[in-house]
Amino acid sequence: MSDFNVIILTHDTLNAIGLRSIFENSFGISAYIADEHYIDTFNTTKEPHLFFVDSLSLVANLGFFLPRRAKTVLLTNDHTPSDDFRTLCVNDNESDIINIINTFFTIGNEVEKNTTNSLSQREIEVLRLIAAGKINKEIAQELNISINTVLSHRKNLTSKLVIKSISGLTFYAMMNGIV
Amino acid sequence: MTLINKDTKLCDIILQEPSTITVLDRFGISLGVGDARISDACHEHDIDVNFFTTILNTYIEENYFPQTALLAFSASKIIEYLAKTNEYYEKNVIPNIERHFAFLINKTPSQNSNLVLMQQFFAEVKTELLQRIDDDRNKWFPTIALNEMKNIGKMPYPVKDTEDFNDPIEEKIDDLINMLIMHLKGEYDHNLGYAVITAIFSLKKDIKQNNRIRNRILMPISQALSCKL
Repeated sequence: MSDFNVIILTHDTLNAIGLRSIFENSFGISAYIADEHYIDTFNTTKEPHLFFVDSLSLVANLGFFLPRRAKTVLLTNDHTPSDDFRTLCVNDNESDIINIINTFFTIGNEVEKNTTNSLSQREIEVLRLIAAGKINKEIAQELNISINTVLSHRKNLTSKLVIKSISGLTFYAMMNGIV
Repeated sequence: MTLINKDTKLCDIILQEPSTITVLDRFGISLGVGDARISDACHEHDIDVNFFTTILNTYIEENYFPQTALLAFSASKIIEYLAKTNEYYEKNVIPNIERHFAFLINKTPSQNSNLVLMQQFFAEVKTELLQRIDDDRNKWFPTIALNEMKNIGKMPYPVKDTEDFNDPIEEKIDDLINMLIMHLKGEYDHNLGYAVITAIFSLKKDIKQNNRIRNRILMPISQALSCKL
């Protein structure tokens, strides 16, 4: 578990330090306490496995955490459930907190494999051709795949990026250096 | 919200659904409504009560389909309402979003090119919306008005239900909102960013609600009128 990467982002210093020490003592993982510039300078090549954030940081960076909701844990002061995020109550006793964190490891790994928002190489190729104005038939010919496969890539693109229109996809491709 | 009728107070409608302020405005009713009921206000402004409540209910209530009431309306009244809606987009909403975007970009570090691309995407949405407004003004609305003239005395005409269809403009605005929420990167002025996104959200809401009036009221009347000829 030593390569497991945990980020803690909270305005409450004592919570952050406490959580880090639980990770070190009980899991042998060194968690990183992030400062307010962390998100701005975020490097996508090193995606952490779990984020622990307080509600203020979450709301301030919703655009960052929503796509990563599968691996984001909201730090709360009570047991009010959240619709979108898993929660960890900072007022629980140590053994409860350790038990709850344990469940995050298994779920976090599973979810990451299944619903990661990053695009596959093939989807990126399809996106590049969509942005170049190609129709499905041309994309299929160019990539040597069936039209049904093109359609399924397009469906995945739309559900991962939540962008439906061709111009929306084109602008997304431009923003991410795909075209 | 329960359906609106002639005895509903205007202030209650606005309090429950503030976006109706713009709808009332298109009928010449401005803020400072006192405790007037719909019937009073319609009497004062010489508005058909049935028409007024149908427009408001269609605007507010997604599941409201105004089939039976349709026959009584003159197409020109609906055209007049939608033309005012278009004018509101053209003169207020679009320039407003553009202004917010310009402020935001102005305050954003130049290395953040993401926002500039989002602004270009909005420019594309704008072109498409203005094109539709132009088509309404110069093609669709005059054709309906002409057909209505030719059909005078032959009313009521048979009106068929139409189905709502996906509006490409609505779809693009949704995409733009999702891009701002999910894919924005780098530094930006948070306050101005919020102003941009709420302005786009309210445009999206208004277009969606007025599309119901286009699709559920004007479209079936327009089809019925052209069949008659």
